[in-house]
Amino acid sequence: METMQLMLVDDEERFLSTTKKLLEREGYSVLTATDGSQALEMLRRKRVHVVILDVKMPGMDGNEILVQIKRQYPMTEVIMLTGHATVASAVDGLKSGASDYLMKPIDVHDLIAKAEEAFSRRQGLETKIRVARMRHLMKSPREIIQEN
Amino acid sequence: MNQNRHNSIRRTILTCMILVPVVPFLLILVVGFYHFKVSLESRTVKNMQRIAMDHREIIDAFLEERVNDLEFIHASYTFDALRRHQTLQKVFSWLQLASNAYTDLGIFDAQGMHVAYRGPYPLTGKIYKDAPWFKEVIKHGVYISDVFLGFRQTPHFVVAVARDSDQGRWVLRATIDSQKFNTLVGGVQIGQTGEAYILNANGVLQTTRRSGGRPMEAPEDAIHLGHRQHAVDVAHQTFFSQGKYLYAVVPLKGGAWILFVRQDKADAFRALRVTIYATALICLLGGSLIVFAAVYLTNRIVNRMEKMDAEKAQLGQQLISASRLAELGEMAAGFAHEINNPLQIIKSEHALIEALLEDLKDDNGLMASPTLAELDESMGQVNLQISRCARITQAILKFGRQSEPTVETIDLRKYIPEVIQMVANKASVHGIAVVQDLVAETAHVKGDPAQLQQVLINLFNNAMDAILTRHGSSGGELRVAIQPAGNGAVEINVADNGCGIDTGNLPKVFSPFFTTKPVGEGTGLGLSVCYGIIDGMGGTMEVQSEQGSGTVFTIHLPVDTPNGG
Repeated sequence: METMQLMLVDDEERFLSTTKKLLEREGYSVLTATDGSQALEMLRRKRVHVVILDVKMPGMDGNEILVQIKRQYPMTEVIMLTGHATVASAVDGLKSGASDYLMKPIDVHDLIAKAEEAFSRRQGLETKIRVARMRHLMKSPREIIQEN
Repeated sequence: MNQNRHNSIRRTILTCMILVPVVPFLLILVVGFYHFKVSLESRTVKNMQRIAMDHREIIDAFLEERVNDLEFIHASYTFDALRRHQTLQKVFSWLQLASNAYTDLGIFDAQGMHVAYRGPYPLTGKIYKDAPWFKEVIKHGVYISDVFLGFRQTPHFVVAVARDSDQGRWVLRATIDSQKFNTLVGGVQIGQTGEAYILNANGVLQTTRRSGGRPMEAPEDAIHLGHRQHAVDVAHQTFFSQGKYLYAVVPLKGGAWILFVRQDKADAFRALRVTIYATALICLLGGSLIVFAAVYLTNRIVNRMEKMDAEKAQLGQQLISASRLAELGEMAAGFAHEINNPLQIIKSEHALIEALLEDLKDDNGLMASPTLAELDESMGQVNLQISRCARITQAILKFGRQSEPTVETIDLRKYIPEVIQMVANKASVHGIAVVQDLVAETAHVKGDPAQLQQVLINLFNNAMDAILTRHGSSGGELRVAIQPAGNGAVEINVADNGCGIDTGNLPKVFSPFFTTKPVGEGTGLGLSVCYGIIDGMGGTMEVQSEQGSGTVFTIHLPVDTPNGG
């Protein structure tokens, strides 16, 4: 079982660094990005399981980044960080493919709980996909040769 | 500004509504009246002219007949034959058969000697050589005199014919009784004052005038034709109006006499006067009817318009207040959001500090001490205050969102005591007795409990403020009552015995931003928001107040019918 790779995206650098420290203390590997393009760039280079994404940011807005991430890396789980205590903005995010949302100010333990939940869901999904692929392979090696 | 606009619209509508019917109305009256007047005048004129012409023919024919009579006698008999009494007698009898206007008949020789006479007066032998009529007849051959008295002292006129014969020039003269002649024109009667009479060129009456004046008198009001004389001579007739009379005038006897047909204008145009009165009456009645209708309709239109404008203004104000509220919400939300970010950092830092402290403790870098306990306690307090801040910002964000109400069925009998309980503490502190009067069979209503709570708390707070203003800390009473109001509605009454609301302020209490509280203490939004909430629940909200004795807010809410969804 691989360890969870997290990525925090927020425009507040101090929040990023402190939260990173807290998470790393709990044994998680954490990447940080201060805006959308940086986050996408990082995703291209590294494998990330769960992205914690602030909705309200200057430049590319959280929901836009979410759409980009989900299009390019559909297997990456995204948890939205929202300032609004509303279901409406969270529902927007969930519709675009976010797996969960958290309301600011967050407690780091809540964050970890949600992230773990998302990660395990993702792991379950990957396992299923893997099993399906295996079955596919087992069924007809010739077809695999043809596919190749 | 609005009033001015309404006044100008009122004026415009009123002007149009009066002018549009009045103009054709007056035109019809004026045209009708004018044509009636013209036709009446022309009929009157024609009538008088016809009478004048007819009578001229009659008179001229009469005079011509008399002249013809004499000429016939002159031609039929010799001077000598007529001198004989019997012959003259016979001729006179014959003349009187032709016309009973003859009073006598005489013959004269060229020297003016009255040679023979048949008649009632002893005139035989009188010399007329110097009499004007004699001179005229000798000169012209035929002469008809004006009316005169002569020797006999009664009005008469003479017709004389002078012809040459074998015995020289001799004259035959007949006297015409003025009375008989009178009947020719005296019978003319037009209306009440219309009459006919004859004047000679000097303005002396030749006939009796019914309105006053006997033959040979020169009436004071006789008009002298003056420059019209010529017109009369040329045209043989003329028509004019002078003074209070209308005149149709024709010349007789080649202009020596003038026949007047005269009628009082007032009499001639009596029908016109009646028409004037009738027209004036119609004008007055019709005009006032039009004005009355115009004023009435204009008032109705303008009142309706004012009402609509007032409603529009109220709606506009509601919109403004709603949009201001929304703006306020937006602003508060943005504000809260901005606060959230630093709060997030503080929270993270706090978590880190706690973690680091734990590390230090674990590594025995920190010995348990009162200072450490205090630090721990302080850290806990920081966490507590962060949570408090978070709650506040969340509350603001909630307010700013004006989230959709969550509609539930509310049992007022249970719900209202709960709400009252929230203010019970404040009430008891200020010595206010809270009386609940909840009728048992009150139906349930539908709405957002939180919103209804907001409305009731607002009303309770207002009531308690009013009570405090009037009573201080004792003697206050807040009465909350619910009861069925009929028509599928429930009534909630919130009554206080506080200071009441000023009559002038009463209509404004639901207006947004209206407050009687000092600047900074009240936003003036409370009742306006309450009104909006009750309105949103399909209910109504009213206020009654008497200054110095209390205020009652009455809320009507529709009953929640179980099968109505």
